[in-house]
Amino acid sequence: MKIKKITKVTFGALVAGTVIFGIGHFQTQAQQEQPAQQAAATATVTECFESREGYTARSRVENVVPEYGYPNIKCSQTTGGVLWWGDPYDDTIPMGDMPDIDDITKGDYLTEDAVIKPREPQLNYFNMDPDKHCVMCHDGKAVPFPKDKKPRMITMHQDIVEDSMELMHGEGAIWCLDCHNATNRNTLIDHRGKEISFNQPQKLCGKCHGVEYRHWRMGIHGKRIGSWIAGGKKRWWVCTECHNPHTVQTNRFQPLKPEPAPALPKGMKNADHESVHAPSAAGHGEATPAAMH
Amino acid sequence: MPAEEKKEVKGTTISRRQFFKQAGAVSAAVAAAAASSVIAPEEAEARTTFAEFFQNNYRLMTDEEKKEAIARLEQRHSEEYGKKVTVDGSPAMKDVLFGYALNIQKCIGCRRCVYACVKENNQSRHDTEIQWIRVIRMEKGNFTVDDMDKGYPNSPNESFGIQVGGNAYKNAGVALEGQHYYQPERVPEKDAFYFPVQCMQCEKPPCVKVCPVRTTYRDPDGIVVIDYNWCIGCRMCMGACPYWARRFNWGDPNLPAEEMNPKTHYLGNRPRMRGVVEKCTFCLQRTRKGRYPACVEVCPVGARKFGNLLDPESEVRKILDRKKVFRLKADMNTYPKFFYFID
Ligand code: SF4
Ligand code: SF4
Repeated sequence: MKIKKITKVTFGALVAGTVIFGIGHFQTQAQQEQPAQQAAATATVTECFESREGYTARSRVENVVPEYGYPNIKCSQTTGGVLWWGDPYDDTIPMGDMPDIDDITKGDYLTEDAVIKPREPQLNYFNMDPDKHCVMCHDGKAVPFPKDKKPRMITMHQDIVEDSMELMHGEGAIWCLDCHNATNRNTLIDHRGKEISFNQPQKLCGKCHGVEYRHWRMGIHGKRIGSWIAGGKKRWWVCTECHNPHTVQTNRFQPLKPEPAPALPKGMKNADHESVHAPSAAGHGEATPAAMH
Repeated sequence: MPAEEKKEVKGTTISRRQFFKQAGAVSAAVAAAAASSVIAPEEAEARTTFAEFFQNNYRLMTDEEKKEAIARLEQRHSEEYGKKVTVDGSPAMKDVLFGYALNIQKCIGCRRCVYACVKENNQSRHDTEIQWIRVIRMEKGNFTVDDMDKGYPNSPNESFGIQVGGNAYKNAGVALEGQHYYQPERVPEKDAFYFPVQCMQCEKPPCVKVCPVRTTYRDPDGIVVIDYNWCIGCRMCMGACPYWARRFNWGDPNLPAEEMNPKTHYLGNRPRMRGVVEKCTFCLQRTRKGRYPACVEVCPVGARKFGNLLDPESEVRKILDRKKVFRLKADMNTYPKFFYFID
């Protein structure tokens, strides 16, 4: 208590001393209110994607966490990417059973502590039937089941695989029906003929990509949100939420638009002093006058 | 207190620095008020501000004083932003030492982490724009005969190489000069990689060593924190930090009410005032409650990993055990708890 009083007295002295240097600079409320109005004037983007553009769309829902008035997500206003999760477990289901492969995780994902965002609702290719999905056409009659896995020209789904003869996943060693179930197009299938849900692509991908699969199970490859505590509740991103298996040979991760660059420091007109490094620039003499001071 | 002066005090939130600045006008009244503790009851807000000014360094406060300080802030910010603002005072968790790992092989330079951080941590949005994370673009350089022995272009010594090989504008090999303002159509680009930098939460933090009022200090969970109320804005820490991690509020922060994150921590993302320094805290308002930092969650490629360095089962420890890891400027003996790794 005594020490505290001394502190206050010291402060009094300081304050008195400052009178000599008093600047008397006052801030007005009006200045603070201006930007709020500016922000409100621009329309808010409420549809955005998580990791893989065109495949992980989310819509902003208000007040999902009423305690803080949080929405489920906040979208970037410039690139259409999700920037922030108010509720990390929004719209998720348990990951489901995972095999014990004798790694350090022991396949322990059965609890609600490991959740995923289900991929099956994404099978709405032509939006023809909300339940039958792909089987709507691939029922064995309208489109007959293929007899073998041999690559052939496919006249549909060019938006997914442009040229089915050029599908390069596995560098040509595997083809559509090595992963897609020929007799039930709503599921995937592994090399031993085991049906795998679209919600659990990791069980299929892991069959070839063993190191990535193990590191993913350990939590050191891939993306999770929620609790950082080991064993705490997390939402896990599954393989296909980041990688597009049909084009992964070209781009492991599909390039996306970056968020805006930071504001230039006061008085700096452009960032040309940085861009002289462009690899396309022939030789070395491209320095602009701006870069010279 | 004369009517005019009272108005000024009510309309403004006074930090210690602002207080010094305004001292010329109101110091007499303040000194009198402080000495005699006589403040008119209707001046609740002003009184809050006075009490805030006379509070102790957070680290030296009793639990009771901390509670009072937090209650004052909750009230003031709730009024200011027109919504219920909570200010948490949770101390460090037991047996936790926070660590971070970032996969520079994976980072695509999308800058989402930068903006997730701003959304979470209530930084000033513009004039001055404050961001705690910087993503530096670095080019993969090359070696060419043409670039040998070329000096600074347009300099009198044009034809002489500066003594590093290559030249100042096109280094040989990997160019370590980074670009902050890159803006390509898409990232990642070929021939470039990206290097995010933020506060490393050094175990031996030079910023703490230089702070003359000891308002920045290392908490037991390894997070270097700042009591903004006690900061005098001398910016010594900014000069001392080898990672360029600290930012200064040159003016009153511009934080629109609808963008303000109402879940705050006293030592973390509570709104700052003019004239104080701020920096990354690994989102301690989240992490001390078990949630990942905002930048970890947002990274679309999962390059960012976070956890308890004391727990061998944590994600960071598994990375330290298995991956190739380095720390930035390890030679500075700052012992950062932010690790970079490659697969
Ligand atoms: S990175 Fe800089 S600000 Fe952060 S603890 Fe180290 S010296 Fe301090
Ligand atoms: S969000 Fe991830 S990929 Fe994007 S810049 Fe930050 S660390 Fe890199």
